[in-house]
Amino acid sequence: MFEIRRTLVGVVTASAGAGALDGLVVPGRAFGCRTADDELMLLSVPQVTDEVVREVSTRLATLDPDALVIDTTDGWAAITVAGGGARSSFGLLSRLELPDAGFTQGEVVHVPAKVIADDEQVLILAPSMWEAHLLDRVTKALGATGRLETREWRVPTP
Amino acid sequence: MSLLVPCPRCGLRPQEEFTFGGELRALPSPDVEDFARVYLRENAPGPQRERWYHASGCRRWVTLTRDTVTNRIEPGVTPSGG
Amino acid sequence: MADGLRFEGRRVTVEPGDTVASALYRADVRTFTRSLKYHRRRGLWCVTGDCPNCMVNVDGDPGVRACMTDARDGQVVVRESGWPSAERDLLHVTDRLHRFLPVGFYSKTFIRPRFVWGLAERAIRRATGVGHLPIGRPASARPARALHVDLLVVGGGVAGLAAAAEAAAAGSRVVLVEERRLGATAWDARVRERIQTLAAEARAAGAEILEHHTAVGLYEGPFVPVVGPAEVLHVEAGRVVAATGAVEAHAVFPGNDLPGVFLARGAALLSIRHGVAPGRRAVVVATTDEGRASAAALRSAGMEVLIHDGPVIAAEGNGRILAVTLGTPSGRERITCDTLVLSLGWAPRDALLRMGTDQEVAGAGDVAIPGCSLEEAEASGRRAANGHDEAPSDVPTVPVGDEGYVCLCEDVSLHDLQQAWDEGWRSSEILKRYTTATMGPCQGAVCGRLLAAFAGARADAVATAGARTTSRPPARPLVLEDLAAGVDEMIEQRTSLHDRHLGLGARMERSGSWSRPTTFDAIDEEIRAVRHRAGLMDVGTLGKFLVAGRDAAELLDRVFPIRVRDLGPGRSRYLVALDEAGYVIDDGLLAALDHGRFYLCTTSGRAPAMEAWLRDWIDRWGLHVHLLDQTAQLGAILVAGPKARAILGRLTGDDVSAEALPHMRHADITVADVPCRAVRVGFVGEVGYELHHDRSRGPALYDALLEAGQVEGAQPFGLGALDVLRLEKAHLYLGQDTLPDDHPAKLGLEWAVAMDKPDFIGKRALERMGALPLERTLVGLRIDGEPRRGVPLLVGGRVVGRVTSCARSEAARGTIALGWVRAVDGSFPTELIAGHAVATVVPTPFYDPEGARLRV
Repeated sequence: MFEIRRTLVGVVTASAGAGALDGLVVPGRAFGCRTADDELMLLSVPQVTDEVVREVSTRLATLDPDALVIDTTDGWAAITVAGGGARSSFGLLSRLELPDAGFTQGEVVHVPAKVIADDEQVLILAPSMWEAHLLDRVTKALGATGRLETREWRVPTP
Repeated sequence: MSLLVPCPRCGLRPQEEFTFGGELRALPSPDVEDFARVYLRENAPGPQRERWYHASGCRRWVTLTRDTVTNRIEPGVTPSGG
Repeated sequence: MADGLRFEGRRVTVEPGDTVASALYRADVRTFTRSLKYHRRRGLWCVTGDCPNCMVNVDGDPGVRACMTDARDGQVVVRESGWPSAERDLLHVTDRLHRFLPVGFYSKTFIRPRFVWGLAERAIRRATGVGHLPIGRPASARPARALHVDLLVVGGGVAGLAAAAEAAAAGSRVVLVEERRLGATAWDARVRERIQTLAAEARAAGAEILEHHTAVGLYEGPFVPVVGPAEVLHVEAGRVVAATGAVEAHAVFPGNDLPGVFLARGAALLSIRHGVAPGRRAVVVATTDEGRASAAALRSAGMEVLIHDGPVIAAEGNGRILAVTLGTPSGRERITCDTLVLSLGWAPRDALLRMGTDQEVAGAGDVAIPGCSLEEAEASGRRAANGHDEAPSDVPTVPVGDEGYVCLCEDVSLHDLQQAWDEGWRSSEILKRYTTATMGPCQGAVCGRLLAAFAGARADAVATAGARTTSRPPARPLVLEDLAAGVDEMIEQRTSLHDRHLGLGARMERSGSWSRPTTFDAIDEEIRAVRHRAGLMDVGTLGKFLVAGRDAAELLDRVFPIRVRDLGPGRSRYLVALDEAGYVIDDGLLAALDHGRFYLCTTSGRAPAMEAWLRDWIDRWGLHVHLLDQTAQLGAILVAGPKARAILGRLTGDDVSAEALPHMRHADITVADVPCRAVRVGFVGEVGYELHHDRSRGPALYDALLEAGQVEGAQPFGLGALDVLRLEKAHLYLGQDTLPDDHPAKLGLEWAVAMDKPDFIGKRALERMGALPLERTLVGLRIDGEPRRGVPLLVGGRVVGRVTSCARSEAARGTIALGWVRAVDGSFPTELIAGHAVATVVPTPFYDPEGARLRV
């Protein structure tokens, strides 16, 4: 059994040299996803993205003065599948193999997506122009009916 | 068709997640004959250096070697690590 | 619900454990199908799902193997070959005409006169085929589920279950798939018992056993699609063990396809499992231990059984076997019988194994060691689980007689193969394609080895000519719904104004992958609004990129044919993007921001390609550039028309006057409390402000603009109006007005290319092409007739071009068009024929040629 929720996530994208990102200590209020050698996506609750931008900019400035840190929240739509069956039902959404805990990226419901999984839930982010598609396909594939609740995302406890 | 492409960052993925960039070609330069570089391809049977872009994943390019006869791919690296 | 199933108007009893085949056989049905070409009677033969003989229509589904399908009360079963019926088939006459219908006859006859083929083809189609499609039935979507396992075992016999138990006990994640119920094809009680025990062991160790799941192919990975009753599994396995078993070998002799001829396993299954005697008097020809054991079983079931260990010369009968001639040491012996049971060797079911030659796939049990004992099968399964790859045993082929059917599915006889060989088709692969042998429902499971042996044995055959033909998916028949499982065709991209458009009554259309409004009410009204008052359009679909980092200007300067270094903050420039061959791959706008950052806009739909293109150069040149795709993150609304400035003025305190924000400049302003990057553009030919904003603020901004615009008579407009407005200015649509080998000169866009720049991508190609005469160009046209896009342009009866865009224009007073034309005798024609109308080349733009409307 599981539940599906539309999720509000704050997203900050940091673009910097690989060495700088390797050396960056991610602020406690954010969860880092290393999407490429030169790119880090930081997830947080939506209200603190300004702070995350400030903190990460400050920390990166010493490591890479040319770094770019931008709030990209509006670029992403997110949905969470939570509960005991969340991980096992992921196969209905994607051919990706879910990590035990952490981040992966690839095609989910046929669009490029970022996935954060732990043992209780799976968070799926896709570019926001696919928001309607993401919500529709995930709910249909998992056999859910009715309106989706919307909830804010919480940083997973380590 | 079924082909698995090794992305150095994301791992072995189905080729549908990628855009194929073709044979690796020389960069434009005054020392390289431009006509052949732009229009002609080796297209030889055997190992071929090629460019693949992981569009559904990290959105970065990788250069790797694929044997055009057996379709076996050797893992590659992104030249500038990003 | 009355007892039994319904079969062609009769009630047929269903006993517990019956398949459709056993229930029908018990009810004295002997002819199950008529063969494909010659309409010969065919009855139960393998009874294990390997041959095509028992395919019937069950509950509306055609091509169902009766021997593989559990019988149920209430089922409706119909035979589907033969006309008017399987029992009385008038088309059986084709068997007598075999001489006139040689192999491949449809490639040689009915060719002249041409119309004959049309009639012949229809007749041939009606006479052949395995069933009728349930066309009225609505298609249902079958879900696909991805499964990641360490070991996938295909086949739930003794070997497969042993492999699953062994691997699961060692800690692997194991899934076993079996296409029937476990033990359904085992007639020996000892085997059935062992299967139950091993299944319990496997389950206890944690293996998952999926009955009624069929593996249909093997792809790189290994990746195995498995069709189950409710969903299709896409299995990604670390390793695969194929324990798919073996079917008894097919023997070729005259009369080998008569009803009453059985493979030994089939006869035993029918008799022992289902309690239906195949006949009264059987001749069992067995050279295998299992064959001899099945003879004993048939005898103890009450049949009169004669055992023979030697060749079969011929079988005779008329629609049913009556007698068999056997080869004995002393010569021949003819014996009357009503059943002939054969166990002359093995044909391993190695289709999946052979698909996996480059993969981590191992065989176990009968498929690797045909005819092995129970203990050997189990041991082989356990070995396979531990990584051992059984080298397949050499399977001796059964000697072939002078005549007989080789491919039962496609009705290809030995005589047909010989005829094809004589015509010059001399390898197994080419014989397959010419005669269609192995191309039927069994996909060579029964006849593949025989075809290869036939080619290999011919005296003049080359070594590879006798190779087995390539094994390709599917290994089992599939319905299209299985293939479509997991496919998604209708992925739609939306802006944040989507619901607003619907609320305003917009008619939406698909433009590439985007859902966009065509019109809100009437296209002509929307056009007039833009020209005389103002219009509002959602242009959030545009590609948008932030380009930053210390090498940003360097990258853009090297890649694009425009001068980037002199683009100061606040300025923007029209951009045409070229590939290395100088061809136009995109167009858009480049705006210089502060701090050495740039904002790049491209056509809707090409953002992903532009991102890949730029990242390739960043990577190859090792430049330090931050490239951020903001296509989804930012929306954009165009306010265009003579009243656009006035409307904006109501909503912003910032200076948006002609002096502060002239054409091709941009500024950060706040509109209705929404921060926007306002870019002056002129795509529709009127003063226009594109307001780029955070996607989430889009609806509020739109509402405010609509409300403020009402006073001025502004209207929302869509793609229908846009098409005409931009055409009036002769602005091109990439992909519609351009061809893949259009370089800027052919499109009248030389002005957008800075040829005096030291270098840019495509410059050398443009220099080369510039030295050649221009052979094609895009022109503006006035047409004195109906607008028709795509119509060819003619001069002197010859096609020299095509109309690429066309519309009736109020502002230009007539029908205007863009089209490309080829040079004729060194110059471009100015008067052409478009359909029934005259098209005249005219200067463009058609509306406001000086661009005065933009400088207001």
